[in-house]
Amino acid sequence: MSVRFENVSFRYPGGTGGVFDIDLEIATGELLAVIGPSGSGKSTLLKLLSGFAVPDTGRILVDGRDVTRLPPHERALGVVFQSYALFPHMSLWRNVAYPLKVRKIAKKERRARALDALARVGLADFAERAPPSLSGGQQQRVALARALVFSPRALLLDEPLSALDASLRNDLRDEIVRVQRGAGIATLHVTHDQEEALSMGDRVAVMHAGRLVQVAKPRELYDRPLNRTVAAFVGHANLWPGVVEAAGRVGTPLGLLACDTTGFANGAQVTVLARPEAVQPLAELPNASRPNVFYGLVNADRFLGAQRRCDLEVGSGIVRIETTIRTAIHAVSIPPEAIRLLPPDSTASQNPAHTGKPS
Amino acid sequence: MLATVLYLLFLIAPIALLALGSVGQSWTNTLLPSGLTGEWYAQLAADPSFQRAFLTSLKVVAATCVLNTLIAVPLAYAIHASARRGAKAAARILTLLPIATPELVLGFGFILVFSSDTLPWLGSIWLLIAAHLVVTLPYLINILLADMAHLKLDELERVAATLGAPFSSRFIDIVLPLLRHSLLSGLITVSAISIGEFQISNLIAGFLTRTYPITLLQAFYGATGFACAATIVLLVLAILASAAGALTARAARAG
Repeated sequence: MSVRFENVSFRYPGGTGGVFDIDLEIATGELLAVIGPSGSGKSTLLKLLSGFAVPDTGRILVDGRDVTRLPPHERALGVVFQSYALFPHMSLWRNVAYPLKVRKIAKKERRARALDALARVGLADFAERAPPSLSGGQQQRVALARALVFSPRALLLDEPLSALDASLRNDLRDEIVRVQRGAGIATLHVTHDQEEALSMGDRVAVMHAGRLVQVAKPRELYDRPLNRTVAAFVGHANLWPGVVEAAGRVGTPLGLLACDTTGFANGAQVTVLARPEAVQPLAELPNASRPNVFYGLVNADRFLGAQRRCDLEVGSGIVRIETTIRTAIHAVSIPPEAIRLLPPDSTASQNPAHTGKPS
Repeated sequence: MLATVLYLLFLIAPIALLALGSVGQSWTNTLLPSGLTGEWYAQLAADPSFQRAFLTSLKVVAATCVLNTLIAVPLAYAIHASARRGAKAAARILTLLPIATPELVLGFGFILVFSSDTLPWLGSIWLLIAAHLVVTLPYLINILLADMAHLKLDELERVAATLGAPFSSRFIDIVLPLLRHSLLSGLITVSAISIGEFQISNLIAGFLTRTYPITLLQAFYGATGFACAATIVLLVLAILASAAGALTARAARAG
């Protein structure tokens, strides 16, 4: 029950969009989350796997079987769409039983299996109800049950939570992961919500301009992003343009930063990454000498409840801080071990004034 | 307010007068008729030319509805499903053309084409049905298209495909059941238009294939009461069709 993209490329006719050179494998039982900005090709990936688009080159394998040119209805893949797309003229159990009906399973068994699937998403009592009488979250649960009732070879989730209220999303995240684990099938989860991807995915793939930029476990992706694009897209980030001035010394708009420069030669252009929660806010400049301590002015201060997000103006750069401290902040300390150097980014060096500011 | 009252007056007054006239014994050079009688309706029911016209109209309406269904559902579906925006727009314009073209133009076109020796069908009931079909098809197609967009039919079909349903199953299980309400209300619109259609019918109907509205015109050369009674019959048919249309539209919304 695995999914494999082998060197898949697809270009939209008459446009520049599409996906290019995709090599990707989703193992049995694994949930792979794909994130990227809109237009990055993540939805195209899902279209290609579900059969609504055919690659120009490359192959797509499901369970080792080539499905590249199979029509959608012969692929036996469960797809959950953003819009739920329940059939409005059928009761819930008939909705869930529909894939069994087209597989010509006897009505009695159909109903039993549909009720069982509804019970697994906690909606057994709603079997006879009509879809419009349910909330969005409930409808999406039904859609999930319907996509899994026929034991598909893989599960495809197309932004399943983005039409829901924020308060519902967290619950449904857990629910989807639980049901997916129970089914034990390869799952491709497309989303633009990076928090959703990090919390749900066994691995996360970041797409940009139709290409896979990095595929890694959530923690690795967050802690060791491959380049600026990934660092900027996954989580919040301070990203400053920098130049390696000496071993362990990088010049930035904030001033000289001490950090590990292994792998970068003197004079090399780099992007300096520091996560906002790893940066330490200080009430005043300490007397004792600490590395990477800067005096600054708070120019934006947002209270978010559990935490507080500040922008501190330091030199010609800005340091984004996420902290639980509520007292005044006048300085910041950036621990050298919290700093990562990334290969330079062409857009960053062309437009240095833009970097370091909240994106 | 005044405008509404005036509008209603102009709408209702003629109808009220017709109703009154249809049961009035004599009506000459007075504001209102005098005497009460059911004679005009009895005469109407006994009149062979009106009997035939009534039957012809029913046949034309029935055939128009059947053909409309057989043509409009697949055609609207094809327009809805066509992926290209350009193709969609072209198809829509094409289906709107008969509404935009004056019916007289269509009628003269029919006369030109079907009075020739190669296609001598002028006056046949089938030509009449064809003309009604051309005039009414755009209305039904537009009603169906609006409903398809409203239902997000393409999305539902995509889901059904991923669930394993081939085209035939999707059409029978999803498309047809979801369209039944709008098809019904569309057909009632079609019936109402077909019942009252005069311009083209008058130009292309033969002596034996006159529809009810054409025969009705002849009635106005005779007794006033008789003409009123004949008009009221048409009016009742049209109102019945509209009311049924409104009711099914409401049922569709509730469902």
